[in-house]
Amino acid sequence: MVVPAAGDALPPFVVESVDPQRMKTMAAILRDPYPIHWDRAAVASMGLGERTVNQGPLNLGYIANMLMAWGGDNSIRRLTVQFHARVFDGDRVVAGGVVDSVAATDEGWDATCSVWLKRASETMVSGTAHVWHRRIDVR
Amino acid sequence: MLTDAQVEGLVGQRFPGGDYTIAHWENFLLTDCTARQPMTSDLVHPIALFHVPIQGAGTSIAELFRLGGGDGQAGSVSLLGYDWEYMKPLCEERRYRVEGGVVSTERVVDAAGAVLHDDIAFQIELFDPDDGLAARVTNRWRFVR
Repeated sequence: MVVPAAGDALPPFVVESVDPQRMKTMAAILRDPYPIHWDRAAVASMGLGERTVNQGPLNLGYIANMLMAWGGDNSIRRLTVQFHARVFDGDRVVAGGVVDSVAATDEGWDATCSVWLKRASETMVSGTAHVWHRRIDVR
Repeated sequence: MLTDAQVEGLVGQRFPGGDYTIAHWENFLLTDCTARQPMTSDLVHPIALFHVPIQGAGTSIAELFRLGGGDGQAGSVSLLGYDWEYMKPLCEERRYRVEGGVVSTERVVDAAGAVLHDDIAFQIELFDPDDGLAARVTNRWRFVR
């Protein structure tokens, strides 16, 4: 088991083009009546263009995917994030992060990471994640 | 628009509460929406902590809009932030008890005293029937006036 170190960059999770069809599926699962996620006319009425707006949980989902690809699917213990700007369909976004601190334990390690979602150089979501890794999956 | 007293009065208001079981199909589609492969074994994707607490607590996004005095129109509500805690792995086809309510509000006015927006935070907890607290979410939403 390799224990990470403070300053380590997390491997990024890249979404080449945010898919509006997935927003529609997401809206159905969430039972989300907010039209900016599935009605381009509603977005246009806000003067924001002609593309639908990605759901906040999906933006956070890209960060979660980045963390799980690094620490494992059962590794996320806390996500604390702020939303700064809207992500639109067709956007290319990249989830990334860096290890702030690590504590080795008998069972594995616990890490605190700064995380973000960016569109080019613009930060759309930022926050902190607590991640743990255990030699044996703890359920 | 809600009055000052109505906004302050939201604090402490509890949702009905209830139970929620995350189905396999639901987790599969939810995970696909995030542009990754299905989760390993029966683990639930972490972003289930958006809709599962809301629906499990016996409320809905639409009801939360109404509670905050939002009209549901585009631009009327925005996300400020989430604080999601995972005390235990969440699993498919497991029945969780869900409870929560509004924990804080803040009315923001401009220099002339006109209301700009209300920030409302709600907190909901998921309990594993056999193993105690499984997850807690604190979400903050902004209602633009």
